[in-house]
Amino acid sequence: MSRQKLARLGLDLPLLPTSTVGSFPKTPELAAARTKYARKELTKPELEALEKKATEYWVRAQEEIGLDVLVDGEQYRGDMVAHFAEIMGGFRTGGLVRSYGNRYYHKPIIVGPVRWPGPMTVAWWRWTQSLTTKPVKGMLTGPYTIMDWSFNDHYPDRKSACLALAREIRKEVEALIEAGAKIIQIDEPAISVRQEELPFAIEALSLTVDGLPAYFITHACYGAFETIYPDMLELPVDNLDLAISNSALDLLKIFEKDPFTKDLSLGVLDVHSHKIETREEIRARIMRGLRVLPMERIWVDPDCGLKTRTVEESRAKLAAMVGVVRTLRAELPKTP
Amino acid sequence: MELTLTTAGSYPRIGDAPDLQRHRQAYGQRERGELSPAAFGEVEDEVTAVAIREQIEAGIELVTDGQIRWYDPYSHLARRLEGIEINGLLRLFDTNVYFRQPVVRGRVHRRGPILLPEYEFARSVSSRPIKPVLTGPYTLARGSILGGAYASVHALALAYADPLAQEVRDLAGAGATVIQVDEPAILRHPEDLNVLEEALAPLAAERGTSRLMLHTSFGDVTPLYRDLQAMPVDVLGLDFTYGPKLAMLIAETGSDKSLALGLIDARNTKLETREGVFPILDTVLPALKVGQAFLMPSCGLEFLPRDRARQKLETMKRLRDAYLGGRS
Repeated sequence: MSRQKLARLGLDLPLLPTSTVGSFPKTPELAAARTKYARKELTKPELEALEKKATEYWVRAQEEIGLDVLVDGEQYRGDMVAHFAEIMGGFRTGGLVRSYGNRYYHKPIIVGPVRWPGPMTVAWWRWTQSLTTKPVKGMLTGPYTIMDWSFNDHYPDRKSACLALAREIRKEVEALIEAGAKIIQIDEPAISVRQEELPFAIEALSLTVDGLPAYFITHACYGAFETIYPDMLELPVDNLDLAISNSALDLLKIFEKDPFTKDLSLGVLDVHSHKIETREEIRARIMRGLRVLPMERIWVDPDCGLKTRTVEESRAKLAAMVGVVRTLRAELPKTP
Repeated sequence: MELTLTTAGSYPRIGDAPDLQRHRQAYGQRERGELSPAAFGEVEDEVTAVAIREQIEAGIELVTDGQIRWYDPYSHLARRLEGIEINGLLRLFDTNVYFRQPVVRGRVHRRGPILLPEYEFARSVSSRPIKPVLTGPYTLARGSILGGAYASVHALALAYADPLAQEVRDLAGAGATVIQVDEPAILRHPEDLNVLEEALAPLAAERGTSRLMLHTSFGDVTPLYRDLQAMPVDVLGLDFTYGPKLAMLIAETGSDKSLALGLIDARNTKLETREGVFPILDTVLPALKVGQAFLMPSCGLEFLPRDRARQKLETMKRLRDAYLGGRS
């Protein structure tokens, strides 16, 4: 069903399309440059030049590995919410709060009406797409997650903050589509934290994407999916990208009970492990997905962004994944 | 009506100003081996003393030690129990904060007092009474990976109850008048109310003349409110930020126990106003049968930046004083 949509959008993807969730590790050169920039030893244009160089590195790497749908690798991003909060109107950088151990971050505060400031991701998308003939995904953080990971001093409640964000992020989606993006991923990793709020999280994503001509993917990870399934199938997107390789493999058991109605991006690499998955492990994870969904509806990717891995680990993991998928493509049509 | 001001547990360790980075810097130095555990302990003492002082300056009458020494609500207690190892990170309920998950390897028992030295230090630097806070046996069990001799959350909760009861005995013996037991996990597993009750019984039996405050947060307590009235505790600490109907339910059913009203949202920076807080007090307070109630933040303050945590406490005191002043 969604393969027809992809075809209508002019996308000719092989079976079991391979992609990644968004982030790649910063290249060592860029990591050093970011430290220098923080110490004011480097200018913004100097940093940006290195961000572009690192992005180009990752585009070439994805092509060499043989991935089908590419990403820009988020070499210019720090945090997936703060990045947008810093650009959008209505936010202020908040004080430091602890995440765990000795890790702290500046949690943004909504202090006024949130406002789309003009295209936020389009220039990066356009530039990245210019480097390759493979489709590049537009990458956004969803309204529910931006709301949940920010403080709210302005709106009367969480729902109204979320819906206001949705209306503004829609403008970014429109701008990406106008620039030529055909696949847009909207990340909602916070979506499963409050079961009772799922209805307005769905309403918000509908405000963001309804009626717009693109293939939409939503990535969610590390949540208690069993508490929001099958209701989460109401999310108005074509493809749900779920962390399957880690603990959530049992999710597929849940699908046997309530059939999964969308395309599924099967996260088959554990991004929090240094270990490179064996071909047998990856194959077993994909086969498990194929037992509950037809192969036309499955995409294959890591279970989350790869930014915490090294460049070498990321490349090795992805190469193993693509190798298995290629073998399966050759084998599977022959097996009923 | 007495409305005592208290906090719910944690207090931010660092702030945004350069002179408020002490704890973070020392932590980094200790991780790199540049600071001895003893020297780091002294920094924790200093930061604890400041957290207590800030609460007192803001007008809090029953303070906590800010849980400055706690890595998280689970591993701080579990790592010092026999039979437990500490595992990787897991998201803490609906927050964007992570805790280290205990893994049960053998029989769970206490090697020695865990919170007593922390309580005694806090008391030595505080002019106001200290309320020790501990994570309850049911929540600890729910957050642990089962193993050892324990095949169910039920069995493990009872196993945790024994060392925690010894903690309660130590703290009550040292003079704590109120001891808070956090059991947020029950909100997601109402089917386990009987397990909670059974696991709290040993703690209640050791409380002596101190009062146990059962605290729940990170979810709506309204559906469980009536059942919690049956728990073997003296005070119920309630997070009002999730339950729009909680105040009305209390008004309708009353309370045999003292209540700690978590009306100040410790998860969001927006400061509370009379318009938000007074109507709830008007609804709830007349229904209470016990003379003393508490006013508190909805949960620990560590979810907020330090300056805003303090402003929340100052706001809470201002609202309490205005409310009682307007009615006396």
